[in-house]
Amino acid sequence: MSHEKVHYRTICNSERATSSLENMSSRLFRVATTVAGVAATTVLAGCASDAPQDTWKPAGPNAQKIQDLQWPIFLTAGIVGVIVMAFIAFCVVKYRDRGQAIPDQAHGKAWLEYLFIAIPAVILTAIAIPTVGVVMALNDTDDTECVINVTGQQWWWEYDYEVGADGTICGYAPSEVAASPIITSGQLVIPADTKVLLRGTSRDVIHSYWIPRLNGKRDMVPGRVHFLRLESDTPGIYAGQCTEFCGLSHANMRMETVVLESAHFQQWIDNELEPYQAPAEGGLAAEGETTFIAQCSRCHQVNGLVDPGNGNLVVSYPDQFVYSGAAPNLTNFLGRNTFAGATWDLLTPECRTDVWESSPEEFGDKYLAGVSQDCLNEIDLREWLRNAPAKKPMYADPAMLEQSDGKVRGMPYLGLSEDQIDQLIAYLLERK
Amino acid sequence: MFTTGSKLLFGASGASLVGTLLYGILVGGIMGTVGLVSLTTGLIFIAGINAFIRDANVASDDVSQFSGSAAAAPRPASSVWPLVVAVGGALIALGVVIHEVLTITGLVVVLAASAEWLLQGWAESASSDESHNSEVRGRLAYTAEMPVAAAIGLGLIVFMFSRVMLGVPTKASTIIAFSVVATIVLIAGAMISRARSMSAPRMFGLFAVVSAVLLAGGAVAGFNGEREIKEHKTTAYYAELDKCGEKEISADEHASQTVAGKANSSAEVTLDENGLSYTRPGLNMVQSGVIQLPRSNANNILFRNETSEPRRFIAEMANVDGSPARICTALVEEGGVQLLTVNYSAPSFDPVVEESGGYSFVVAGLDDRIEVIVP
Repeated sequence: MSHEKVHYRTICNSERATSSLENMSSRLFRVATTVAGVAATTVLAGCASDAPQDTWKPAGPNAQKIQDLQWPIFLTAGIVGVIVMAFIAFCVVKYRDRGQAIPDQAHGKAWLEYLFIAIPAVILTAIAIPTVGVVMALNDTDDTECVINVTGQQWWWEYDYEVGADGTICGYAPSEVAASPIITSGQLVIPADTKVLLRGTSRDVIHSYWIPRLNGKRDMVPGRVHFLRLESDTPGIYAGQCTEFCGLSHANMRMETVVLESAHFQQWIDNELEPYQAPAEGGLAAEGETTFIAQCSRCHQVNGLVDPGNGNLVVSYPDQFVYSGAAPNLTNFLGRNTFAGATWDLLTPECRTDVWESSPEEFGDKYLAGVSQDCLNEIDLREWLRNAPAKKPMYADPAMLEQSDGKVRGMPYLGLSEDQIDQLIAYLLERK
Repeated sequence: MFTTGSKLLFGASGASLVGTLLYGILVGGIMGTVGLVSLTTGLIFIAGINAFIRDANVASDDVSQFSGSAAAAPRPASSVWPLVVAVGGALIALGVVIHEVLTITGLVVVLAASAEWLLQGWAESASSDESHNSEVRGRLAYTAEMPVAAAIGLGLIVFMFSRVMLGVPTKASTIIAFSVVATIVLIAGAMISRARSMSAPRMFGLFAVVSAVLLAGGAVAGFNGEREIKEHKTTAYYAELDKCGEKEISADEHASQTVAGKANSSAEVTLDENGLSYTRPGLNMVQSGVIQLPRSNANNILFRNETSEPRRFIAEMANVDGSPARICTALVEEGGVQLLTVNYSAPSFDPVVEESGGYSFVVAGLDDRIEVIVP
């Protein structure tokens, strides 16, 4: 080999090495920026301030039990994960293919295999013992102080409050003896520091009840009864979401649990069971009552509503029109502050913030004030009354209801005029 | 120039033409004329073909024709498929008049037989060796024929056997099912296992006899019709007749006194010497007097009888016209449990429900009751 040729090859090798180093540097930079980007996104996502469904902020003993369990498990899993990933990374870098000979292969190292079985077994056992304890504690119903039936249907939740043998509701004696127990929807109202047992089922498909800050999830299966404990020591509103895919508007099937301190809960019960007050004659609300009877009362019940035309009690029969056989009871519609499966606010954003972010001491009074005309979110409510299926996807097209025997799933388009909507809003504003 | 066969055919064609002309001119009639014209045309066509192939005669000194002429080609094997296709066609035609099932059957027969016919034709053109052609056909056809034949055979056996079982009295059917058939299967199995040298024709004969007996039995039983099957009345039937009372009814005969442990109930109602009480899953307390159940939902109520007398559990409901309605369990014996599913479509404060007396759970013959509140 001539001297020139050797020199030429050396130069070429040198250039190739430089180019290779530059490529590696560029690749490392790309990998590092990608990893940093993913890590930053993940970490920053955890910093969201408006996160009402944050499982890491328990607001009751049941959720606290889960929190106390998941922290150490998460920590253990994290440490194991880091060790494993670090070990893999070490092996990948240290033993990458550089053309070296294949090292000696180890076979049948019994002590190593025992160790690899023993370590996970010890970790899993350590995790299993407290997990089983928490699961059993969360299913314990012996200490129940209040029973509320919760029923899921496409796409909202209904609550009816059990009246005890002594006539009390959750241990609170109502000032009025009403013909019907309390039945409401969207927002579940419970007393603070009370062990509440939700007895849940479904009228159509499987749904799942979950208020992350108060307890874990519980599926609600048609024909079966399921139990979920709820308890909170802090008055406020706690948001949740149906967590079992249940059809077209699953994403719009939300729920909230409102926790009131003792005196406020008593006030809420009394208000719910108050006899029906008919609107003043001749007013817009009275016209709204007539419109309600004509257009809405086939499905929606307002307890105590009497038809002024014939003096008969107005009773809804949603089972004749709705697939699930139920529609929200609107007796105290504006006593709650969300509607349509707790998907839209009945309060304007300012008023909502005022209620949701109030201190536990102030919360009860603000919640019980209901929705005033000034605070009413008329835009969403009007849109809903104008064409409900256009706002929330539902199976309500009469031409496409063959599979459900002509019955709707959700609220249909009613073809209300703007005047009728004005009347209904005036009427509903008195329902609180 | 013209071969013997051609001469005869041309002569016949000429005679036919003359006859057609005479008939057309002297007698008239469209149908007759058309028929004779068709006959003449056909004869002329056949005569032309015959002249062209020269009576398919091969010269005795033309050795190459011994294997290459049309006459030397192997004759196609006889085939049943054209006949089956014709039967299928007849079924289609009959089905148009009688019932669509016949048409569908005919279509299936025509399609299947056509496929078989095509397959046979294709296989016969594979070579001049018949056994090889048969093997070629079998390789393709058996993959479909065997499962279909087995399914049809099994279907026939099941259908015929079911006709026999439905035709004979209940006890006789039990004897046939568990004794006669079992014995036949056992004997047949023993014979086959012991007589290892049994020839295939003999075994085929044995199965043919059994099949014939079964087919004959099924056909006879099928024509005779099913035995009279007694309808077992349910508690729902008696509830409609307002017979949910203390008296024993036919629905009580052989009624189950247990409920699967996994039955998911809304409440468990117990009758004991203290009267009616209930517990609800998830709540460890005994309650009585009033129970609250959700509307428009299936509520499974377990009833447990802890008294010494058989008792019937009744749910008092309401008809839409305000008249009372009842649904009930069968008579529940001491220690027995039965399930009653109730679904309330109207709230208990509905005037129609109130007019009917409201919702409640009662036991026939007792005054005690649990009022049901439906919000």
